[in-house]
Amino acid sequence: MTAVVLDGIVLGLQMGLLGVGLTLVYGLGGVLNLAHGQFAVFAAIVIARLLDADLSLWVAIPAGLVCAALLGLVIDLSLMRPVYRLRGEDRVLLGLLLMLGVGTIIDGLLEWRYPIEALSIRVPGGPVSVLGVPMRRGGLVGSAMALTAGAALFGFFRFSTFGRATRSVIQDEDGARLCGVNPGTVRTTIFVLSGILAGLVGISRSMTAPIEVTSGVGLTITALIVAVVGGLGSVSGAFLAGVLLGIVSTVSAFYIGSYITTIVLLATAALTIVFRPSGLLGHRP
Amino acid sequence: MADDLLRISSLCAGYLGEDVVHDVDLSIAAGEAVAVIGSNGAGKTTLFKAICGMSAPSAGTVTFDGTNIAGLGAHQVVRAGIAYVPAERHLFPSMTVRDNLALGAYPKRPEPKQLDFVFELFPRLKERSSQHAGTMSGGEQQMVAVGRAIMSNPRLLMLDEPTTGLSPLLASEAYKALAELRADGLTILVAEQQVPLALELADRGYVLDHGRVQLTGTSDELADDPEVRRAYLGVA
Repeated sequence: MTAVVLDGIVLGLQMGLLGVGLTLVYGLGGVLNLAHGQFAVFAAIVIARLLDADLSLWVAIPAGLVCAALLGLVIDLSLMRPVYRLRGEDRVLLGLLLMLGVGTIIDGLLEWRYPIEALSIRVPGGPVSVLGVPMRRGGLVGSAMALTAGAALFGFFRFSTFGRATRSVIQDEDGARLCGVNPGTVRTTIFVLSGILAGLVGISRSMTAPIEVTSGVGLTITALIVAVVGGLGSVSGAFLAGVLLGIVSTVSAFYIGSYITTIVLLATAALTIVFRPSGLLGHRP
Repeated sequence: MADDLLRISSLCAGYLGEDVVHDVDLSIAAGEAVAVIGSNGAGKTTLFKAICGMSAPSAGTVTFDGTNIAGLGAHQVVRAGIAYVPAERHLFPSMTVRDNLALGAYPKRPEPKQLDFVFELFPRLKERSSQHAGTMSGGEQQMVAVGRAIMSNPRLLMLDEPTTGLSPLLASEAYKALAELRADGLTILVAEQQVPLALELADRGYVLDHGRVQLTGTSDELADDPEVRRAYLGVA
């Protein structure tokens, strides 16, 4: 049982890191990035191609993250412009549809150009004993990456001036404008940051399971579930939800069967919406 | 006047292409307190939103300290030196009082001196500095809203109906704080339905009705005007 829970935490930290990028972008401007998982895959495939070209991991990883950031920047400055001119439901719908389109295009291009490409980063060394359970090093390094990113994000939002400005846009956009905050700048920055976070998931996740060109949709769905359960716009909520759902996922896979895990996760998200619409740590506007 | 801090000429503004405010001229000299009075729906909020950049005016100019700021975004207007306290306050409910105030100084870090000034004006906020703004009473939220605006160290403070939702006692306390700011030399433009309070604070006033300036004069003149007395002061 301990092993199953520990595996759940390892998986859950990845899920949290995945959900946090989606939750921030949605909380800031109502855009549900249905291509979030594809951003992760895009970064992973860039890294895999560079590794194929015999570049070192230390060059390939930063290059992959930069590419994911640039993809975020380009999309924010082009497709998202008309979206942010709209208000309310119209904005949500157009943002969702456009990002669904972006995801489909990334999926299609990658499957067409590099159908058998995949990223699988091997962390050298044998298992490490945690609470008496032998854990694979890849999972632990991936978890450390997720925890570091989470702590950095938490510190950024709590203590930096720009982080505080970001929270202000999430809580009251007009109030933020009256304080001198430009919501457009904040949204662009966070969209780019979310691309980098997706890229990080592509890297850290590939230490335990390969990221393939077809992995995007599954990752997006996971990110969506985590964001809903954690509360849209909440960083700590996303990580808390990620870890809880990770444990739910490995426990149900162990005791019921992996085929039903996705249904259990979706049911958890549905129940959250019914009983706690603002999510675990989300605030109600 | 050449040395007006703010001068508005022929300003038209509204929503969805329909003007609510027509041809408004208004000016404030540095150090003055000016009231815009009028009933609900007279166009006070629309006028204020157009000045502070929350919405773009459809015609006219807004000259602040010699430059036309009409059409700038709200975040640019506040950086130019105009702080606006809307009637709905637009606080950040899940942030502490301290964080709300700190954001007022954005993009700079809050200056301790400025924070002390706000805490001196509203000692209550110092006691409640780590409370979430969303859990505070209406009067306290109004203090946070004014305090947050002051944190930007503005040259002009604009307030839209600062007494909204406040009891008569709290309303007069709010105006007491504004009078202190005024005495400190801050220029104030206030829109108000509670005309006696506003005229007591202000040097001059404009009466807005159906989106047009119907009357203007010193506060004493307006308080003595039979039309104003009948419509806004409840005197027959």
